Amino acid sequence: MSKILSQKEPYPPGDFAIWIIVYVELLTFGLLFAGYAFSRRVNLQMFNDSQLLLNQSIGFINTLILITSSFFIVKAVQKIKNMTHSNGYESSIIASKWLFAAMLLGILFLVLKFTEFSHLFAQGITLSTNTFFMFYLLLTMFHFMHVSLGVIILFNLYRKTKMYGYSPENCRGLETGALYWHLVDLLWIVLFPLVYILR
Amino acid sequence: MKKIAERIWIILIVLSLFAFLVGYLKLINTFLVGILLLSTFLKGQLISDYFMGLKEVQLKYRIIPILWLILILSLIAVAYYLPTTTP
Repeated sequence: MSKILSQKEPYPPGDFAIWIIVYVELLTFGLLFAGYAFSRRVNLQMFNDSQLLLNQSIGFINTLILITSSFFIVKAVQKIKNMTHSNGYESSIIASKWLFAAMLLGILFLVLKFTEFSHLFAQGITLSTNTFFMFYLLLTMFHFMHVSLGVIILFNLYRKTKMYGYSPENCRGLETGALYWHLVDLLWIVLFPLVYILR
Repeated sequence: MKKIAERIWIILIVLSLFAFLVGYLKLINTFLVGILLLSTFLKGQLISDYFMGLKEVQLKYRIIPILWLILILSLIAVAYYLPTTTP
């Protein structure tokens, strides 16, 4: 009995292809994170001074937004997986509401990040201002593009879920989209302290 | 095991608040860099295990994001802790 209870699933959730994407993204961002950390050693003062121009509060609010939206996605997937024949329609509607809320948070993240970018650009800061801002803009704009794609994915998941498109036996598409969003969250979890806090 | 996602969400929020306060109140020092990197590892592992659902799958799949976190955060720690040579 204990052996049965301790048995692990043979495969992770979602499509195989999404895991290839996850590993490639982790590798790409990982190289950029390490590049940032080691480039900082060459000119500590410039990195520390430039970091002061960032808005830590917006960075923190964006962290809360991404963590909460990831949590909403977990709730949506749980709702679909615990669906029964008798409550299928209600479960789909509730799951779609969780997805919609997660999508709105994703849009809010993009709006706040866009505001932050606009503020920096208004100050004349560009990719070529210095090494800190090159890394900062490269990392955050690359992440911004991932969040934008994530919002589009969430919108499609929301539409399909609302139309009763997933069931406990057929929710691989939902799991795949959810994984992409959690990846975006995981990357921000490292990006936020590295770029905004550590000095 | 009930409400596990809610508990993970609260832990993630609290750890993020801690990181923000350390930066906002300008408390950052050599010791806290290590603590922040450890808390980042914990947050990353919670997301990987509970949100991405890797806790219940075989170790060969679960270990990859964990190794990524260990490698990247260790490299960051090395970059922050190694003494710099001033020109």
